[in-house]
Amino acid sequence: MNGKTETTDIVGLLARLAVGGVLIYAGLMKALAPVEEFGYAIESYRVLNAQLSLWTAYVMPWIELWTGLLLAAGVFTRLNAVLSGLMLLGFEAMLGQAWLRGLPITSCGCFGSGGGNSIAREFTQNLVFLALSWIAARYGGYWSADKAAETL
Amino acid sequence: MIDRKNARLLALAAMIVFISTVAVLLARQFNIGPERPAPDFRTFGPKTAPVQIYEYTDFSCPACRHAAGKIDEMMKIYGPGLRISFKHYPLMDIHPWSFHAAAYADCAGEQGKFKEYADLLFENQEKWAQSKEKPKEFEAYAAQLKLDWPKITACADSAETLRRLKLDIAEGDLKGVNATPTFFINGRRAVGGGQLVDQARKFDNILRAAKP
Repeated sequence: MNGKTETTDIVGLLARLAVGGVLIYAGLMKALAPVEEFGYAIESYRVLNAQLSLWTAYVMPWIELWTGLLLAAGVFTRLNAVLSGLMLLGFEAMLGQAWLRGLPITSCGCFGSGGGNSIAREFTQNLVFLALSWIAARYGGYWSADKAAETL
Repeated sequence: MIDRKNARLLALAAMIVFISTVAVLLARQFNIGPERPAPDFRTFGPKTAPVQIYEYTDFSCPACRHAAGKIDEMMKIYGPGLRISFKHYPLMDIHPWSFHAAAYADCAGEQGKFKEYADLLFENQEKWAQSKEKPKEFEAYAAQLKLDWPKITACADSAETLRRLKLDIAEGDLKGVNATPTFFINGRRAVGGGQLVDQARKFDNILRAAKP
């Protein structure tokens, strides 16, 4: 293994853990809170109606949690990194339209009742995680279950 | 046909999904997880108090009235060692006016008199709790406390108040609250005034140490 490869491997691993970690945290915070809370947060973006917001709130925390865990463990790394990226793109679309429309959103709902940053800050933060998802998809194989399954 | 490697990974993925799901469901059951903060007007005692109590209460429930007295007593005895936050859990199937009472109390709280209004509701519970028609007492107590009644009614009908109450109820449901009053004392569950005192005794040393 040459030096260059090792650096990208480590960067890929860190990116995988960062994106996986944030998704696990976000999913857990929401899964351990009343579903209505996240439902109201989704509703405040004025994209989905109350019923659809609630259904999304039922499903989303679990998808975040499972994707985060699988990505962090390196199980189907590329697939889960792409899925994470797609989720982040979805969040960006929601945040972006709220930002453009000037909606009065006090909590983005990103991390349950733990509060959140301003829309602009969340948007920027998600861009960073989006970039990290790409790195994880490209170089996230180091120390992964995928690699271990190959050698067993 | 799935090859050997993918079969292993699929099995691992299924295991991760299964274990994490069970862990989260158990965490919900055992009340592990963040507690939603109650609004400031429903919270009494310093933020840094070593003993934090969350009470799920219903203004129409006699046991809650009884527990309110105990809480007041504890606040006097332990002072800064204790922080109590009230959450609404109106049992609407058996108490027709408890949701309204909770909304009016919150709106009195918006005008700085949650505790005073709540005390009046508890003290005179028999007069209004099982009333056939909407109790006049709600307005009378507001007048007694010199509160702006039209403002209270507007606030009680607002989407924000409704949302706050619904979230309290949803949170109670998530924590498996099915009787009032239910307390969480530093995360430990107690149902009724008797269990509250029993549980609080376990924190006696901490509470006494926090006394000024």
